[in-house]
Amino acid sequence: MSALYELDHVVQRYGEREVLHLDALAVPEGAIIGLVGPNGGGKSTLLRLLAFLETPAEGTILYRGEPAGGREYALRGEVTCFPQEPYLLKRSVRANVAFGLEARGATDVAERVATALALVGLDPARFAGRMWHQLSGGEVKRVALAARLALRPRALLLDEPTANLDRDSAELVRRAVTTARERHGTTLVISGHDHEWLKAICDDMLWIRDGQLAAPSTEAGHAPWPQPAV
Amino acid sequence: MNYILDGLRQALELLLGGDPATFSAVWTTLLVTLEAMAATLVLGAPAGFLLGYADFPGKRAARLAVETFLSFPTVVIGLVVYAFISRRGPLGELGLLFTVPGMAVGLTILGLPIVIALTAQAVENLDPRLRPTLLTLGAGPRQVFFATLGEARFGLLLAATAAFGRIFSEIGISMMLGGNIKWSTRTITTAIALETGKGEFATGIALGIVLMIIAFAVNLAASAFRRRSAA
Repeated sequence: MSALYELDHVVQRYGEREVLHLDALAVPEGAIIGLVGPNGGGKSTLLRLLAFLETPAEGTILYRGEPAGGREYALRGEVTCFPQEPYLLKRSVRANVAFGLEARGATDVAERVATALALVGLDPARFAGRMWHQLSGGEVKRVALAARLALRPRALLLDEPTANLDRDSAELVRRAVTTARERHGTTLVISGHDHEWLKAICDDMLWIRDGQLAAPSTEAGHAPWPQPAV
Repeated sequence: MNYILDGLRQALELLLGGDPATFSAVWTTLLVTLEAMAATLVLGAPAGFLLGYADFPGKRAARLAVETFLSFPTVVIGLVVYAFISRRGPLGELGLLFTVPGMAVGLTILGLPIVIALTAQAVENLDPRLRPTLLTLGAGPRQVFFATLGEARFGLLLAATAAFGRIFSEIGISMMLGGNIKWSTRTITTAIALETGKGEFATGIALGIVLMIIAFAVNLAASAFRRRSAA
């Protein structure tokens, strides 16, 4: 598999504080990569960099072999990020899922909205017309995920997608994201603390601690992790 | 007390009888308010968005200037605009003095700081997750702008309602720039002042009733919109 992302000596700082320092990292196209590690370790920062929502303070990110710097807007049309606490626009469920499709100039919006909602276990007939404040916390997450899946992105970056979800919802998320890879070859990078859930779907797992790729914690009892794809 | 009740009775007769002078003032008020509100929102909403959204050198000073203009005396606004649009002023050739568009210019200057300040505040108070959400869904700068304004719509509505209240009920600017010319630039507020001064209490009350009904209707509509959007 060719690399979708290649990171070379990427450093990210917030003010004076260095929050991420990766000498080298490659994410193969079509792979499902898990990111694990303690809170504040740099997982979310890495996902924001991969989503081109931030630019690194140092180093280069290659996307499909080409430097991403200066092309962030265009590349955001190919990748999308699902944050820990997703935000829904103050609109209906349908309008929320359709927003990205319309922004990217898609033509078959209605059909893709319905398909994406069904994929996350929400009946389009029941949910499409609901307003953002008529949803439970779990439904908000699923609508936000549907908004990303509808885009059929080349890369989908998920930041703790199962946090605060019950078992059934977590299973729905698992099925939805693996279906995205099966149907559209989507590359998935998923951070989380539910190691069992991640192990069940990931091709490779990376441990991030103190902003760096690290050996897995033996205390966690999940060793040995596959080595980082460098 | 009787003269107040008599005034009220005569006021209702004027309104129900469709008194042309009364309705001319109402029409002029609506026209000048519409013009001023349109200009205020077209100029003020984007400026407020920029002030609340973007970081630029001098932002603090701009914010301070806008807030200072919030408490600018209307008579001074009238005086400054008068100086510009009077025959000897730099914009005298436009012939705006004692016209409805001339009054609208002054009222726009009155409404602008309100819309800019309240829009900036509404945008600043938006959820910080909004921008990354829009960006990661693929929105370009124009889509980010309109979607952000859409998210701030309740704040914008509040800004528009507040500006409307100020513009609609203003008297000093209308008097100075409009000249209170009957059938032409006489508004509800300038007419009330004039008619009351002349002892025509009934006309003043009639116009006051119309003023309050319109203001109430606009606020009611804004409130209904807010409820419907949030429901």
